[in-house]
Amino acid sequence: MLKIENLSKTYPGNVQALKGVSLEIPRGMFGLLGPNGAGKSTLMRTIATLQEADEGTITFGELDVLRQKQEVRQILGYLPQEFGVYPRISALAMLDHLALLKGVTVGRQRKELVEHLLQMTNLYAVRKRNLSTYSGGMKQRFGIAQALIGDPQLIIVDEPTAGLDPEERNRFLNLLSEIGENVVVILSTHIVEDVSDLCQRMAIIAGGRVQLTGDPATVVQKLEGKIWRKTIDKLELEDYQRRLSVISTRWFGGQLIIHVYSEAPLGDGFEPIDAVLEDVYFSTLNRAA
Amino acid sequence: MLRIALFELRYQLRQPLVWVMTFFFALMTFLATSTDGVNIGGAIGNVNRNAPWVIINMLGIMSILGIFITTVFLAGAILRDFESKSTELIFSRPISKLQYLGGRFLGAILISCAVYMGNVVGMLAGGAMPWIDPELLGPFRIAPYVFALLVLVIPNLLFTGSVFFSLASLTRSMLKTYLGVVGFFSLSFLSRRMIRDLDSQFLSAMLDPFGLGALQDITKYWTVVERNSAIPEVTGVLLYNRLLWVAVGLVILLVSCWRFRLSTEQPPVRILPRWLRRRRKATADVELARRPVAILAPIPLADRFFGTAAAWKQFLRQTRLELGAVFKGSLFITLLAFGLFNLLASLSFFERLFGTSVYPVSRLMIQGIEGSYAFLLMIIVIFYSGELIWRERSLDLSGVYDSMPVPNWVFFAAKMVAQQLVVLAFLLAGMLATVGYQASQGYFEFEPMVYAKGFLVVVMPFLLGCFFASFVQVISPNKFIGYLVMIVFLVSTQALDALDFDHYLYRFGSTPAAPYSDMNGYGHFVTPLVWFNVYWVFGAALLTSIAVLFWVRGNDFAWRKRFDLARQRFRGPVKGALAVALLGFVACGSWIFYNTNVLNEYLPDDKLEARQARYEKEYRQYIDVDLPRVVGVYADVDIFPKERRVEARGRYRMVNKNAEPLRDIHMSIPPQVDVNSVQIGSYDLKDLEAKIQDDVLGYAIYELPTPWLPGEEMELRFDLTIAAKGFVNSRSNTSLVYNGTFFNNTQYFPRFGYNPGQELQDRADRRKHGLPPVERFAKVDDLEARRNTYLGKDSDWVDFETVVSTSEDQIAIAPGYLQKEWRSDGRRYFHYKMDAPILHFYSYLSADYTVVQDKWNDVDIEIYYHAPHHFNIDRMIESVKDSLAYFEANFGPYQHRQMRILEFPRYATFAQAFPNTVPFSESIGFIAKLDEEDDEPIDYPYYVTAHEVAHQWWAHQVIGGFVQGATMLSETMSQYSALMVMEEEYGPDKMRRFLKFELDRYLRDRSGERVEEMPLMLVENQGYIHYRKGSVVMYALRDYVGETALNEALAAYVEAKKFQQPPFTNTIEFLDFVGQAIPADKKALIADLFENITLFENEVDEATYHQRADGKYVVHLATKARKLRADGDGVETEIPIDDWIDIGVFGEQEVDGKKVPKVLFLEKRYIQDAAPVFELVVDELPVRAGIDPYNKLVDRNSNDNMDKVEKADEVS
Repeated sequence: MLKIENLSKTYPGNVQALKGVSLEIPRGMFGLLGPNGAGKSTLMRTIATLQEADEGTITFGELDVLRQKQEVRQILGYLPQEFGVYPRISALAMLDHLALLKGVTVGRQRKELVEHLLQMTNLYAVRKRNLSTYSGGMKQRFGIAQALIGDPQLIIVDEPTAGLDPEERNRFLNLLSEIGENVVVILSTHIVEDVSDLCQRMAIIAGGRVQLTGDPATVVQKLEGKIWRKTIDKLELEDYQRRLSVISTRWFGGQLIIHVYSEAPLGDGFEPIDAVLEDVYFSTLNRAA
Repeated sequence: MLRIALFELRYQLRQPLVWVMTFFFALMTFLATSTDGVNIGGAIGNVNRNAPWVIINMLGIMSILGIFITTVFLAGAILRDFESKSTELIFSRPISKLQYLGGRFLGAILISCAVYMGNVVGMLAGGAMPWIDPELLGPFRIAPYVFALLVLVIPNLLFTGSVFFSLASLTRSMLKTYLGVVGFFSLSFLSRRMIRDLDSQFLSAMLDPFGLGALQDITKYWTVVERNSAIPEVTGVLLYNRLLWVAVGLVILLVSCWRFRLSTEQPPVRILPRWLRRRRKATADVELARRPVAILAPIPLADRFFGTAAAWKQFLRQTRLELGAVFKGSLFITLLAFGLFNLLASLSFFERLFGTSVYPVSRLMIQGIEGSYAFLLMIIVIFYSGELIWRERSLDLSGVYDSMPVPNWVFFAAKMVAQQLVVLAFLLAGMLATVGYQASQGYFEFEPMVYAKGFLVVVMPFLLGCFFASFVQVISPNKFIGYLVMIVFLVSTQALDALDFDHYLYRFGSTPAAPYSDMNGYGHFVTPLVWFNVYWVFGAALLTSIAVLFWVRGNDFAWRKRFDLARQRFRGPVKGALAVALLGFVACGSWIFYNTNVLNEYLPDDKLEARQARYEKEYRQYIDVDLPRVVGVYADVDIFPKERRVEARGRYRMVNKNAEPLRDIHMSIPPQVDVNSVQIGSYDLKDLEAKIQDDVLGYAIYELPTPWLPGEEMELRFDLTIAAKGFVNSRSNTSLVYNGTFFNNTQYFPRFGYNPGQELQDRADRRKHGLPPVERFAKVDDLEARRNTYLGKDSDWVDFETVVSTSEDQIAIAPGYLQKEWRSDGRRYFHYKMDAPILHFYSYLSADYTVVQDKWNDVDIEIYYHAPHHFNIDRMIESVKDSLAYFEANFGPYQHRQMRILEFPRYATFAQAFPNTVPFSESIGFIAKLDEEDDEPIDYPYYVTAHEVAHQWWAHQVIGGFVQGATMLSETMSQYSALMVMEEEYGPDKMRRFLKFELDRYLRDRSGERVEEMPLMLVENQGYIHYRKGSVVMYALRDYVGETALNEALAAYVEAKKFQQPPFTNTIEFLDFVGQAIPADKKALIADLFENITLFENEVDEATYHQRADGKYVVHLATKARKLRADGDGVETEIPIDDWIDIGVFGEQEVDGKKVPKVLFLEKRYIQDAAPVFELVVDELPVRAGIDPYNKLVDRNSNDNMDKVEKADEVS
């Protein structure tokens, strides 16, 4: 169980990235949703021991994450949002190297582990190719392979699906859910489906604050019967936005569809719909804004 | 295009780097102009701080540093787009290649120029500072700035800008662009090194892409006045150089523009040839992603370890990875190739004298590596430290890497090892290259121990530098600030030295210099070297510990956080390491300080100067007091080479030769001598009343209880100890060494009275210390001054006897004939006694010598030398024989029955003639390479030997009084004598080559004069006059007068003046004798050659010929002849020409298959016309003709004296 209490962080130039964030993250997949610049990455990097917080604590079981960094790193698997590779090094060599850095010092075991991970991420056939020639998806899978080295108890994946095509994304999420059963996996993303598909628990973070936590099913249930849909003319949009709490707009087949949050039923051509996580996300962001 | 340029400009102006660099430039030139701490451009001596020559040089030199600006801005302008990946945005716009590149180029060049103007601002501001000695400021002129900007700076910026812009746009890689920078540095260095060689000046001047070589070529003979007032003309080599390199830049720019693709893909530019490139396997791009994810068995469990053992494994592996990063790829190989190229190119220029190179002995190879790597490798270290420390971050790898459970030291240490191996690789490659060079020169005595020791000595500063540079990179918030800090560090080490903060304790990684001598190895320099290096190793450990504490994981560089983190990390091994390092650092530092500052006196230059000034201020008043005169010397001198100690007990027989009784004794004993006792007559000095006793300056005045009557003889007995204590920071005593001890009596033995030789000479230094302009030599006809020889006032001729002892394995030598040699108590004793009076000037040497003996008539010849230096011993013996023969025949008998040459270590590079004894430095002839067949080198061991033998006549028989011109009588005459011996042996052609070197040295060195250039006969101990000009003048005189007539006059002079009593002779008397040999129509020679500084500007205007009916050839030779007189500052005035000058016509003949000139006509012609024209009839086809073709006269442009003879157009 990862426990974050009252975490704050201000960057030089008075940019406050985190404002008193508190979260409890149990075993299993935990989705961290939020728009760009919400403070997700700062939070992730802080948990991953790469950044100092100004205030607050993070504990993982018995570990004080902010102080016992070296111990945390031993049980950590981290896939940063962006990561480069050394030029002129093959996936096999690089993964082997990282495995050693993670403490797998017995050569035979390391070889076995690395090969397994490469097969698991379906990179085995291209393992001897230079990493720099990998496509975005392959690189991302390599990233997850390295994050899985050494039986990590805490896995942090920062925006892993950005830039992946739908098929790659699927495979990637499958992989994650496979391993996410017994350990803490924090998945930060701004893609709602990632969370709704995979996560048992989630939080929405915006403006450096936690706006909402819960499990996706429950939070969606809370909106049950409160989301209304209507197809409108785009000229009317401004009017609707003024009058109602429009949480999202979307084009469909050349027409504008709006979702509106309302506790009371709306007439005027609005029809009730089953809420989805996306509605939760957008309504939360709307409220936060 | 303009819009892009303006955009670039606006963008750059917002960058702090622009302002930082501008400020940095301004600061450099400000300091250089207003202080002594930074010297750029060479405002020394009487050259003004704002002399045009200084301004031009300074701006020129700064334009080399300008490479950094051009790289940053021009390469940056292009690379920024690629790095920020905004190229796709830009290239998709409708702009043409020319607009894009042109705009960027223009903008970046403008900004570079703007930054560069920081230099000008700095200079102007510096020149206005109130603390500058106003005598060193000339009037403000705009012209030199304009010249420097238009001729040097802007072309250089354009050229380097084009090159780096092109490199960057084609390679799209900062690394490869840096390579270009290094390349140009090398080329420029090489050019300026080569320019010292006379035969390749044009080539090397052209080769320097910055034009400084060409500028140097044009201004090398400039006198102080010219430096202070003249602007060089843009002609000749300077013009060609500028045109060439601007054109090269332009071509490169055009090519790159043509090759550039407006796309994100640029066809790769290969630096390495195809066969060196690693073949890349073309792997089929199998997109395996389409297969479903393999759901497999659970991930196998692997044991994980986090202890020290694991960390070691990780460290080794990480090191391998870093090494791969460094050594793979073309960058390293290219840098190494540059380094080796630089090294090999420099080797053959080392210790070249008169164009003759030396045997490539191993210590010279080490010196070569040290010299050519010094700057280059430091830059490489700095570069790699930045690259490696910031590598993961710049590759976006730091997220993954920094969250690995690996201790900080693993990363730091791995990167350190990689850098260290770069250094080691450079050194090993350098050594292999030099061994190869030795072999290629047919030299196979490789001396592995010299290499091994040299390796250690050379490698340490760079290894330590790696630590410092990496530490700086760890601490600094980004790579470029790290680089900037390192550049400031490099500059500051130079500046601190010049500002007299020269203790090595606070200059990271530096140690006292440890010169290697074949005779003495590293000798006593080893101890300080070891201590300082251990000290710095602890220092490096300290820095490493701090670096590990402050090592940033991730991207959080806020200082508060870093301190928090460091506090957290400060435990366990780091704490221990830090404590040990600190302890070791402080302990070593204390021990060093105890040695350099407690056991010995630490005396930086400014303090030493102040001391010299005080010596003059306080004691110059005694310059004319009556002194007793030493007439006999007996000394027991015990040399303990291993302890670097000398015990000297001696007796002077002294006479009061003054008219008055002596009441006070003015004693002068150097402060580094420990006086055990001094007695004068029956008095112990301790018991006498001291009116003054200054132990710091070594001056004391004692009052005698009873006056010392005129004519009365007294004895002075002294007992002294001279011992090196511990080790020193600088100015190590190189007289007392393990093997090759060499000192003379003036260094340690008691002397009397004030010694003007210790006065400050430099005008500006004197003003700084409030001293009046230096009291110059007494006038040539000052009879009072002529009562003394120029060696001192307390003696002239003395009887000399000494017993000198040394350790069992060495031979000790002093002037005189060996009376007896014995061994006792494990020491060797030698008793020497002189049979004829000698000057009060004698040397003591002790070393492990090999001895060769020979004989000329009844004179014993002995050479004492270091066994491996056997190469030229024969030549020296031959020279002694030839010299004795020539001098006895022409000047008179030799006063001794023995001639000895003794090698001493290369801490000093001279040979010095003592009576029948010539100490001769190992570096000026013992390893000269004379056996080269192709270009017949000048045999300078032979020449130096002849010069020193000649001193037995010129100095040890005839010595001048202490007035102007004294050194002409000894040095110039020894030069002349040696020239004559050499001409007999090698013929006049060789002499011409030799004299060309002498003329060049004279003209070059007179421009560095700090006081006043004197005419030869009034020379005030100025080497470039009494040696260099002396050679040229005497050779010309011989040419006009004839050898026999001249030598007869000289013999008569020697006969009249040898061993004379006061007053001693002067150059007036000398010229009286010589004048009698000069024919009546050439009496003006004395005025031209001796009494004035005379320069000629002779040149050929036109030379044509036609063939007469009788088959003979008529040569029509139109020439120009100007004659100038210069004053002491170099101001020239033209005087009418009225001289006999050689006119020559040369044909060609074949000798041994080579075409060599054949003299068809050579005659002195009397010239009174500024444009004399000659019609000369010769028998054979004329090829070249000229005026003063052999450069017998002092002529600043000696190359235009001859020209090709063209066939005349048919005359009607």
